[in-house]
Amino acid sequence: MESFIDEFFRDVLGERTAVADNLADIHGLAWEVVDPVLLDLCRLRVAMLLGCQSELEILNTDLSSEKMDSLAEWPSSSFFNECEKSCLRFVEEFVVDVSSIPDSSAFAVRDHLGEEGFINFVNALLVVEQRIRLQIVWGKLFQEVST
Amino acid sequence: MTRSQRVASSNFDIRFREALSLWQEEVVRLGLVDPVTTEMVRLRCAEHHDCHT
Repeated sequence: MESFIDEFFRDVLGERTAVADNLADIHGLAWEVVDPVLLDLCRLRVAMLLGCQSELEILNTDLSSEKMDSLAEWPSSSFFNECEKSCLRFVEEFVVDVSSIPDSSAFAVRDHLGEEGFINFVNALLVVEQRIRLQIVWGKLFQEVST
Repeated sequence: MTRSQRVASSNFDIRFREALSLWQEEVVRLGLVDPVTTEMVRLRCAEHHDCHT
């Protein structure tokens, strides 16, 4: 079942249904190729950093409330394991400056997820991050047009 | 920081790879933005992502 965010994309894309369909496909697959709880953590962290309220209002998995509440303080929190911390570090560096991610951050994620898992993770993160950025930009454009 | 490839192969989930390719092809086929602007954006994105391909 499509979420209100999927519906938003379809509204914006209008007759460009192939683009909307492909966007829905890659988004769905992103959640299949990466541990959904891990990806949900990363999605929420991206949404926090970029200030995307619509993404912060939904939860795709049954993340614990402890993790949700301490996500902004993940480096010092005991609720996150080393794999999650490595991925969250990578996510933050990805959002801030994708071309300057240190080797240590990338290799830490690779060591936890394996080579194929690492590539799946980076591509899934790209999909989730771009989808959030599109929501922010298109949301503002449509708001301006409608007012 | 290395600029070389960080993984030995580029293998990942084949369904995901094909779906990403289809999405990119579909976006590239959109003709709403003029070719010069499109190319400027493509090059800027490549620089931003440190993509040399």
